[in-house]
Amino acid sequence: MSEPLLSIRDLTITYHGHGEAVPAVRGVSFDIERGGSLGLAGESGCGKSTLANSLLRLLPAGTDVKGQIILDGQDVLNLSPGGLRAVRWTSGAIIFQGALHALNPVQTVGDQIAEPMLVHETAASDSVARDKAIDLLRRVGLPAARADSYPHQLSGGQRQRVLIAMALACDPHLLIADEPTTALDLMVQAQVLALLDDLKQERELTLMFITHDLSVLTYACQRLAIMYAGRIVEEGPAWDVFAGPSHPYTRALAAAFPTIGDVSSRMAPSGLGGDPPTPGNLPQGCPFHPRCPLARDECLVAEPELRSSGIGRSAACILV
Amino acid sequence: MHPGVTPLVEVEDLHVHFGAARAVDGASLQVAPGEVLALVGESGSGKTTLIRAIQGLQKPTSGEIRVEGTPVDNRSRRQIQMIFHNPAVQMVFQDPTGALNPRQTIYEIVAEGLRIHGQPKDEAERVAQALSRAGLRPPERFFQFYPHEISGGQRQRVVIAGAMVMEPRLLLADEPVASLDASIRGEILALMRHLVDDVGLAILVVTHDLGLAWNIADRVAVMYLGRIVETGPTEQILDDPKHPYTRALLSVVPETREMEQQILVGEIPDPARIPEGCRFHPRCPLLQSGTLPAEISGRCPTDDPGPLAVGATSAAACWAVSMLAADG
Repeated sequence: MSEPLLSIRDLTITYHGHGEAVPAVRGVSFDIERGGSLGLAGESGCGKSTLANSLLRLLPAGTDVKGQIILDGQDVLNLSPGGLRAVRWTSGAIIFQGALHALNPVQTVGDQIAEPMLVHETAASDSVARDKAIDLLRRVGLPAARADSYPHQLSGGQRQRVLIAMALACDPHLLIADEPTTALDLMVQAQVLALLDDLKQERELTLMFITHDLSVLTYACQRLAIMYAGRIVEEGPAWDVFAGPSHPYTRALAAAFPTIGDVSSRMAPSGLGGDPPTPGNLPQGCPFHPRCPLARDECLVAEPELRSSGIGRSAACILV
Repeated sequence: MHPGVTPLVEVEDLHVHFGAARAVDGASLQVAPGEVLALVGESGSGKTTLIRAIQGLQKPTSGEIRVEGTPVDNRSRRQIQMIFHNPAVQMVFQDPTGALNPRQTIYEIVAEGLRIHGQPKDEAERVAQALSRAGLRPPERFFQFYPHEISGGQRQRVVIAGAMVMEPRLLLADEPVASLDASIRGEILALMRHLVDDVGLAILVVTHDLGLAWNIADRVAVMYLGRIVETGPTEQILDDPKHPYTRALLSVVPETREMEQQILVGEIPDPARIPEGCRFHPRCPLLQSGTLPAEISGRCPTDDPGPLAVGATSAAACWAVSMLAADG
C-alpha cells in the first residue's frame, strides 16, 4: 500500500488562556489514504475543529501542539514559514463553516477565488487566474457571470459553492470540509454533497469531513472517526460504525438520527442526557462515564485506549 | 384529524404578500388538540411567514386564521395583537442560548410571561409546575440558577417551561432542535412528545428535518413556494409520498439510502416570480422523466393544480397524482 496522504500521530493540542491549560485534543492518531475519505464526528467542544485547523497550522499563536502531522510527505509541525505557505492551499485546503462569514463582503467572488492562485503563484497572471476562477465557478455549478457578484447577492447554497471553488483554486490534494452543509436546506445539502463526491472522483481528492451529523458523514465518507473529549473513541468503515456502533457514545449519536420507516424509532426520539465535559475539567477514568448508560465501577479507574472491535475497527471502551 | 373536533388553529386560504413576492400564497392547515403537525419545507417556502401570521406578528394579505374557533379580523391591528398575547398560543424558538436573558435567574425567566399577563398569587407554584413538566426536577433546585450554570439541554427545557407556564393549548416551535447537539436533540423531542401525550398540548413544529417528523409528528404538511403541496399522516407521507417534491425531499435524506436519489436542480424560485401552471413544474423530476401521458404533462406548465382543499386530511397538489388516481 502506498503512503497515506495524511498521517497523524499522537497529536495533542493545548490552549493556554486565563492562566490555565485547556487540552482540546488529547493524543489522536489516524491516517487517510490517498483518495480516501474520513468523517470526523462529535459534539460541540469535542476538539474536531481544533484538529482540522491544526492540519494547516491555523491555530492561534501560543497554542501548544505536540505530536506529528505528515501531510503529502511534509512534516507540517516543523515546516519553515515558506514551506508552510506552500502546503496551505496546494497540499491541503479548508472549506470553512458559515458560508457568509468566510467570504469578504466587499470583494467579488471571482477575485476571491483568483486570490490564492496569485498569492501562491500557481497562476502566471491576473487573466490566467481569472479564467481559472471562472472555470471553477462553472465546475461548482454557477454561471460565469457570478464571478462579478458580491457574496450578499448569492444564496447560502451558492456561497457554499463559491467556498468550494476557492478551496480548489490551487489544486489541493486534501480537502478539509468543516460543517460544509450544516446551515443548508436538505436539497441544497444533497446538491453540495453530490458535488463534493463528483469532485473527489474527478480530481482524485482526499476528503476530511467534519460535522456533528453522523448520517451525513455516513453518506459522504468511507471511514468514520468519532471524537469525545479530545480523543477518538471509535473508528472504522462508515456504514459499519453507523449501523453497528461498538462504543455507547457512538450508539447514542447514531440513534439521534432516526431511520425513516424504522418502526422502532417512530414516536420514540432517542437522546443522551447531560452535556459533554468541559475540556479543562474532565471526569476521572473514561470521560464518557457520567453520561454512559452502561457505566460500571471499573470505568472510573482508567481512561480506556482504542482497541480492536472488529475488522478494520476500533473503539475505546472496556466493554468492547 | 377527527371530524367534530374544533381545531385549535385553522388557517384558511392564507395569503401574505410583500409587494410582488407572494411568500404565503393560498395555504390552509389545521392543528387539532393533542396532535403534532410538522410543517416541512426549505428556506423560502414561506413556512416561517405562515407561523408568524398565526402568532399575529405578520398581517395577512387575505384569508382567515381562527384560534380556538374564533375568527380573527385580519384588518384589525388590535385583534391581531390580541392573538399574539393570547396565552393559549406560545412560541419556542430555535436557539435556547439567545432566547434566555443571561442576567435573569431561571425562576425570573419562567415567571416573566405570568407577570406580563398580571401576576397570579400562585406564581411560585406555577413556575415550579412548569419546570417540572419540562423535566427539570426538583424544580426548586433550578430557581436561583442563571442560564450559564445549566447545560444546553436544560436551557432548551427552560425555554419550554417559559412557554408551558402559560398553560397553552398550542405550542409553535420553529426548528426547536436545529441548533442543538445530536445527543440533546432526542431528549428535547421526547419532552415535546411527552407534553402532547400527557398534558394534551398541540404542537405546530416548523422544520426541514424529516427525521424530527418521524420521531414526533402525527401529521406532516409539506410546503413549497407559499403553499401546502402535500399533507397526510406521517407514516403515509414519509413511507409512501405521492407528490414528486415530497418524493425528492425524502430521497435525499441521508438516513434513507435505499431510495434512488433525486437531487433537484437549482433552488426554490423567487416568490416574486412564481412559475405559471404548477409552481413546481420547472423542477419536477416526474415531468422531466417524460413518462407522463400527454394529457397530464400538457397541463403541468399551464394549469395550476390549485391549493389543497381546506380540511383535506390526505392530499397532494399534483396533476399526475390526481389524474392517475381518477383513472384508477
